[in-house]
Amino acid sequence: MKRDQSDIVNNQGSLSVSDESIARLLCDDNHVEEAVRLIMKKYGEPLYWHIRRMVVAHDDAEDCLQETMINVYKYRSTYSNEYPLSSWLYKIATNESLKLLKNRSGFTLSVDDLGVSLKDSVREEAAPDADETLILLQEAIALLPAKQKMVFNLRYYDDKSYEEIHQIVGDSVNTLKTNYHYAVQKIKDYILEHQL
Amino acid sequence: MKDFDLEGLSREMPYRMPEHFLDDMTERVVSQIAKQQHKQHRERRIVALFASAASVAAVALLFLHPFGGGFDIPDYESISQCASVDEVLQNMTAEELGVYSMMSNYYGN
Repeated sequence: MKRDQSDIVNNQGSLSVSDESIARLLCDDNHVEEAVRLIMKKYGEPLYWHIRRMVVAHDDAEDCLQETMINVYKYRSTYSNEYPLSSWLYKIATNESLKLLKNRSGFTLSVDDLGVSLKDSVREEAAPDADETLILLQEAIALLPAKQKMVFNLRYYDDKSYEEIHQIVGDSVNTLKTNYHYAVQKIKDYILEHQL
Repeated sequence: MKDFDLEGLSREMPYRMPEHFLDDMTERVVSQIAKQQHKQHRERRIVALFASAASVAAVALLFLHPFGGGFDIPDYESISQCASVDEVLQNMTAEELGVYSMMSNYYGN
């Protein structure tokens, strides 16, 4: 299949394929496998970390990422060029993370009630040589309500604009800004309170 | 009041991703997708096979009984001209009685 001129070889020597080209390959039954490989190469790592920040445990992140990619294949015909491919991928990954947390919380609790148990997992999952402030930051994020957590992570770690976050999460830009503001305040308070 | 410089903090994560995790995941996903594609392909072939079998049967029926000729259709017109229901029932063959009872059940009479 013909690729765009924007598909370039970057200075590390790896092929950087445009999202448009990947989307075209994805919609072609004969090139789905190639498209999935390209998505994993380009977005696998950011998607993994996005999911991991939501679900904390590696095993859960692994399940979510796998399910995300299977859904990318299953629902590829629903992808519209109106939105960037990355927003669509992040949206699927976010939904999968929330689905896993919802399953974990059961019928009686909400996803936001899992904060304390997620916070406790942070230290268990952290590398032995991990920086204490970074652990505190993840604990503070784990305690945030799901909406604030999503907005904070997408903006702080993934450098997404509010417009992109709106495409992923669905809330209005003003609501997202408010959520981000509250998230930052709660995180700062938590770190100041727990820092030695 | 004390403030914490969140923007100045490293974006590094305190967790580690296992080595070769993404490569292994890619292979797993690709193999699952290949399985699903194979299953879909097989289902499509079965549907196509049934569709062609049904078409062949329809064409064969058309040749054997063009315009429905050869089938015994009950003469409902003569039934409606009879004086009483009892009389009609007495003149009916066993096969016609079967059709009558089926229609009665259907219309709830």
